[in-house]
Amino acid sequence: MLQLFINGLVLGSILALAAIGLSMTYSILNFANFAHGDFLALGAYLTFVFSAILGVHFIPASAIAVVITAFIAVCCDYAIWKPMREKSAGSLTLIIISIGLALFLRNLIIFLWGPDIKHYDLPVKRGIELGSVVITQNQISVIMVAVICMFLVHYLLKRTTIGKAMRALSDNIDLAKASGIDVDWVIRYTWAIGMALAAVGGILYGLITNINPNMGWFMLLPMFAAVILGGIGSPYGAMVGGVVIGLAQELSTAILPTEYKQAVAFFILIVVLFIRPRGILGS
Amino acid sequence: MIEIGIEIEYLPYIITVLLIASIYAIFSLGLNLEWGFTGLVNFGHVAFLAIGAYTTVLLNLSGVPLILSVIAGVALAGLCGGLLGIPTLKLREDYLAIVTIGFAEIIRFFLLNEEWLTRGPMGVRVSSRPFEELIPGDYNFFLFPFVLGVLVICYLLLEKLVKSPWGRVLKSIREDEDVPASLGKNVFSYKIQALVLGSMIAGLAGSLLAFYLQYINPRNFMPIETFYAWIAVVLGGSGNNRGTILGAFILWAFFSGTRFAQGYLPFSPTQMGALRILFIGLLLILIMMFKPEGLLGKKEELTLTK
Repeated sequence: MLQLFINGLVLGSILALAAIGLSMTYSILNFANFAHGDFLALGAYLTFVFSAILGVHFIPASAIAVVITAFIAVCCDYAIWKPMREKSAGSLTLIIISIGLALFLRNLIIFLWGPDIKHYDLPVKRGIELGSVVITQNQISVIMVAVICMFLVHYLLKRTTIGKAMRALSDNIDLAKASGIDVDWVIRYTWAIGMALAAVGGILYGLITNINPNMGWFMLLPMFAAVILGGIGSPYGAMVGGVVIGLAQELSTAILPTEYKQAVAFFILIVVLFIRPRGILGS
Repeated sequence: MIEIGIEIEYLPYIITVLLIASIYAIFSLGLNLEWGFTGLVNFGHVAFLAIGAYTTVLLNLSGVPLILSVIAGVALAGLCGGLLGIPTLKLREDYLAIVTIGFAEIIRFFLLNEEWLTRGPMGVRVSSRPFEELIPGDYNFFLFPFVLGVLVICYLLLEKLVKSPWGRVLKSIREDEDVPASLGKNVFSYKIQALVLGSMIAGLAGSLLAFYLQYINPRNFMPIETFYAWIAVVLGGSGNNRGTILGAFILWAFFSGTRFAQGYLPFSPTQMGALRILFIGLLLILIMMFKPEGLLGKKEELTLTK
């Protein structure tokens, strides 16, 4: 049971990171981005390309991958999302476009790097035994990186100008515009930061599980559950939601077959939508 | 004479492609009713394809006559659509999208894991097909006109429905829910009806798909199937049944055409497969950005830009 708790915490940390970006874009851009998962995959694959194929050390490879992913996200804003904002596209149009983007990115990954499962070229390390539970060094790394990133996000949101602007936009976009904030710049930052976090999440997921083209799609439902549970637009809510969903999924395997883990996220999602649609920390 | 010989050689292949396109056209017509006419974002349409297929095949395997198995498949698909709709159709439209995608995946997990019922990943062989004993030679030469007939009947029935007062209420719900609600229409009830009927049509398509494939397993019902229907509907023109059918046929012409190109391009079959879907994703983005009314849709009927 404790083992499941630890596994849940690890998965939850990854979900938490990934969900922050999803929550921010959901609230500021007002649509559910179904391509979010594929940015996770992009981060993982780019890291794989730089580290396993090009021989760069893992950590700088990850950093490069995160930067490239953030850059691609900003390009998407220029090419797709901004023009649609100018046309006042409704959220349904954007959702359908995001599905197209998801299909495009996922199959670009398959086209370039194949559908088979991959792993980072890292030495296998022995796990640490604490009584009845085993925790691997990778799991510890995941939790540490996730916590550091969450602190960075907290610092960004509370102490920097751009963070305050992001919070303002998330709260009320018209008031933010009226107070002189350059909405387009803030949106670009939101994409960059949100997708950078997603990329980190993907890299971490690849670290403890594996790298495959569907890894992001597979996490999409739990991520949406985390976002809605935490409250759309609240990064802190996304963090809490992510951890809760991760714990729930792993702990559920004590009583349910492991294949139904996603059903747990789905169930929580439904319950939240009916009892408290604005989530734990939503406005 | 030689040309006729070559054409006859290709004929079974062409029949097969037209057959699959027709099945997907029926599948997509169901989605068009839900999205094109009523404005419901259903990303889980494949779930009902699966329910129709599995119900028909499993019942028939247990000895239930084929026609009853098909009816049961259609009915169960519709029932599940209703059950899904009751708690979820009151949700905001984007929540519906998330929930329906989750629902379809859960159905797929169910099919994969409940091996006692569905044989899990091993799949089920189709034991009998309509009039199979009576057809000499290639069964597809019969199945294609059969499916085409079903398609035509579905199309005519749907056209009658959407042009009726019932259809007009659906369209008004799509445009702005508050208007029919303020006129006293039970919007929720109409949405459920659209979802149930759309799911029944998907269930019927599922049975026909099972007849074509002769062997079904959960891999036939991945989320991508829903998005094939979406591209057919969006490409043809949301809310236009002829457009949807056209979209389905163009989609399958594209799939089979690229299969021929395979030999000329330096890509592996996996890469070609990925390239196909990549292109569909791109097409979806481009259509929604630049020509959201699709090929046959009407710009005035568009409410996607609010």
